[in-house]
Amino acid sequence: MFEPKRPQKELKYEELRIYTDEELKNFTEEELKEFKIKHEIPAVEELEKGPWPSFVADAKQEALRRRKLADDRMMIDRYVVEDLLGQLELSFKDGETHWKHGGIVGVFGYGGGVIGRYSDVPEKFPGIAHFHTIRVNQPASKFYKSDFLRALADLWEYRGSGLFNMHGSTGDIILLGTTTEQLEPIFYDMTHELDQDLGGSGSNLRTPSCCIGKARCEWACYDTQEMCYEMTMHYQDELHRPAFPYKFKFKFDGCPNCCVASIARADIAFIGTWRDEIRIDQEAVKAYIAGDIVPRGGSHKGREWGKFDIQKEVIDLCPSQCMRMEDGKLVIDNKECVRCMHCINVMPQALRPGKDTGVSILVGAKAPILEGAQIAQVIVPFMKAEPPYDNVKEVIERIWEFWMEEGKNRERVGELIQRVGLPKFLEVIGLPPAPQMIKAPRANPYIFWKEEDVPGGFERDIKDFRARHKR
Amino acid sequence: MEEIKKAILEFASASKKTRFYFKDMEKAVQEKIPTAKAREIKKAASELINEGTLIYFSTGSTTMYGLKDRCASDEPQQ
Repeated sequence: MFEPKRPQKELKYEELRIYTDEELKNFTEEELKEFKIKHEIPAVEELEKGPWPSFVADAKQEALRRRKLADDRMMIDRYVVEDLLGQLELSFKDGETHWKHGGIVGVFGYGGGVIGRYSDVPEKFPGIAHFHTIRVNQPASKFYKSDFLRALADLWEYRGSGLFNMHGSTGDIILLGTTTEQLEPIFYDMTHELDQDLGGSGSNLRTPSCCIGKARCEWACYDTQEMCYEMTMHYQDELHRPAFPYKFKFKFDGCPNCCVASIARADIAFIGTWRDEIRIDQEAVKAYIAGDIVPRGGSHKGREWGKFDIQKEVIDLCPSQCMRMEDGKLVIDNKECVRCMHCINVMPQALRPGKDTGVSILVGAKAPILEGAQIAQVIVPFMKAEPPYDNVKEVIERIWEFWMEEGKNRERVGELIQRVGLPKFLEVIGLPPAPQMIKAPRANPYIFWKEEDVPGGFERDIKDFRARHKR
Repeated sequence: MEEIKKAILEFASASKKTRFYFKDMEKAVQEKIPTAKAREIKKAASELINEGTLIYFSTGSTTMYGLKDRCASDEPQQ
């Protein structure tokens, strides 16, 4: 049961609305068809021609809406959206960006959440001379009330460009484009009226994000929403007051399907897992084989795939070949299971994750910015994940301590591990090496044992060795 | 705390660069006050920010600190 860390404000949405619905629906389809923005944008308009919905079409609607709103109903330039499209056209033509980013813009006391952006051709496009971005910390699993979104959209129409992204890579709502003067009023309204915090940017803990978790998914091995909320609240100082060498991301996935792709994107990925056995309902296995239950929950039923073949579609595809049929029953050698989720995904009614659940903690994923992309690696194969998560917080804080001490400016934790080596990292964090940390533990000597690590120790005489083995 | 704040301000005024990383500020403070811990330095820096002496400078991906008086002229204001 959800328990808020601080009193939740009861929002009176009717009072928070700035516009009426009629005021916002201020143009007809006909007017939209006829509408031309103030700049010629043939290259940008090419983007509308594809089969997919285009942001250009959306932006034009917003441009027309702003043309027709009354002067005193917008606090920033009426032509902000038109100038944005105009500058994009110029960038296409020139083959280079016309944005400058960064600066001292921010809101009082916060080191993140606002990213300064300026046009470098403001004389041509005065509406976007300032075009700052604001990150809004999304709720766990992105559950919103539509009333809340209307109130937020109204605030942004009034004090910003009216354009926003749902959602940025870290999961926040990204409000696109406002002026420096509007930042504090927006921050005030958002925190005091909407009870909504800003997200993270810069050398901060970034807004933690999680999968849909136990709210909708039977595979969630821990309560991702609860843990995401707990960590967001517990590490508020790290989220808003930057003192890290660079960005740092947490993501929470309830099972190894990894719906928020924590393994590829988070400095620390928390992925739900189990340490007992996959639960098997043998009757349901038979029903799948007989064709009485559609595999994959019916998600591939748009085409004829032929009769379900458990050998071909499940057993032969097991990456560690730990499954077989024996006397009409499915048998799994659980100690060899690598939690790929394939069999569970194909036969969700027959197979379920075990009952002794927790998280695997993986560290070091990143996208290519300074160095190339990295995928996260296992640091803790299994840990229980239950409130108040003190065990997890201890791991997090040890990693931060080492990274803040040893990390270079703008070095992600994954790059630090690569630089110092996994054994050194494990030693400092105080975790034992485990075979789950690498792909081929029997063949890859990733740990060089020291004499004191081995019972009985060992003696090594290099001269004696060289006498028998030439260099 | 006051001592750390003083060390931060000395570094911020003397530093060749008008904007600097937290880590460089931390090193400079620890040269003067070896017992100062990162967390204390962060708290002192946050106080200076709240007082309006120090400011954050963010590119969006990286955050730096600077003296308000020295950084104002760097700002790409229109």
